[in-house]
This record gives sequence, structure tokens and C-alpha cells, in this order.
Amino acid sequence: MAVEVRIPTILRKHTGGAKAVGSKGSTIRAVIDQLDADHPGLRAAILADGGEIHRFINIYLNDEDVRFVGALDTPVEDGDVVSILPAVAGGAARG
Amino acid sequence: MDVLRLPQDMATQLIEHAQAEYPKEACGLIGGPPGSAGKLYRLTNVDPDPVMRYNADPKELKRVTDDIYDRDWDVVAIYHSHTHSPAFPSPTDVERAFYPEASYVLVSLMDRQRPDLRAFRIIEGKITEIDVVNDGQGA
Repeated sequence: MAVEVRIPTILRKHTGGAKAVGSKGSTIRAVIDQLDADHPGLRAAILADGGEIHRFINIYLNDEDVRFVGALDTPVEDGDVVSILPAVAGGAARG
Repeated sequence: MDVLRLPQDMATQLIEHAQAEYPKEACGLIGGPPGSAGKLYRLTNVDPDPVMRYNADPKELKRVTDDIYDRDWDVVAIYHSHTHSPAFPSPTDVERAFYPEASYVLVSLMDRQRPDLRAFRIIEGKITEIDVVNDGQGA
């Protein structure tokens, strides 16, 4: 399945500045694997050490936050758009 | 010099949002053509401890950033309030500053009668204060 992946500014250092790149795979996990093969470093920026989606990264399949569907196992169709958006987060307290 | 051009009516909207959410932290985005503030988007703070932290609702964040990119705009600023501390980025703010292209606007409501609004760049852990220029009545 060929998909478009939209890359946030903070991760464009891995894509030579490109805002969107192509990838392929039958699940979000496979799409990320291909993404990292083409643009090394992206997987480590998107996934936590345990292999799950990083706490402060949101991944959307079209308009759907994949955390609420199948997370990394969410199936992907040809022509889908995968968007990676860092959290808008912070606050006065530590941690 | 790096400045944030913020129309007075938008600064007012931002402070109204912060006051409405008090004592919780309010958060949102400002989108616009590069370097200018076009529209303020309120976001819902879904952090489990909203008095001391913020985390914008991911579904709203997607909708709002789609609107900003569909207009060919940028995320010009990310704003949030501190209800019990000064308008200066906390260590948590710095750790979670994932939008190097945006200005970070903080409103302190330590003194609710006199909200303090300041803006910063937070890039690779480095905080730089920038001037907020009152730029008329909106883009």
C-alpha cells in the first residue's frame, strides 16, 4: 500500500526538509519501518524505547488518531494519508 | 529582530480564554501567514492534571492544524497559561517544545487582575524572549 506521510517541522531534518514523503506498508508499523529505511532516525523519533508510539507523538490515519483504533497494527489502504503531529503540551509542573 | 506581531483583539481573546479556564491551564494555537497572526484557535486541555500541565486534545489539534495548513498558513504561536507561576517557560515547557517554527506565548494569571503576557522561542532547549508587538486589529 502506497501512502503519503506528513512530517512535522521538527522531524524534517530527517527528510531533507520535505513536508511530506511517500512510504508503503500494510499497517502503520510497516509504514514507519519503510519510513525509517528511507529516512534513518525517524523511527527513533516517533516510537518510544519499548516500541510503542512515543507519549508526545500523535499519529493519524487520515483524520483518525491511531491510538483509538489499532495503534501500530492499524491497517493502511492505498492512498491513505498518515500525519505525524507532536503533542502541544507543557505546563508549570515538572514531569 | 524576532518579534511576534499580535493584534490587540487577539491578545484580548487569548487572555479571555486563560481567564475562562482558570485555575486550569488554557492552551491553543495561533495560525497565520508567515510571521503574522491570522486566527486564534482554542484547544481543550486534556491533561489529567490540568491545573499544573496542559496537553491539547489530539483530535482538535489535527482539525486545527489541517485548517492552518489548508490556508497555506503556519503555526505562528502556541499559547498556554500559568495560573500560579510567572509567564516564563518551565522545564516541562522546554522539554515538550516540539514546534521550533512557533513562538511560545505564556500568560500568567498569578495576579488575575493584571495578566502578564510574554512570548518566547524555545529551540533545542534554549529559551529566547521575543518582543510582542501590538499590530492593529487583526490580519
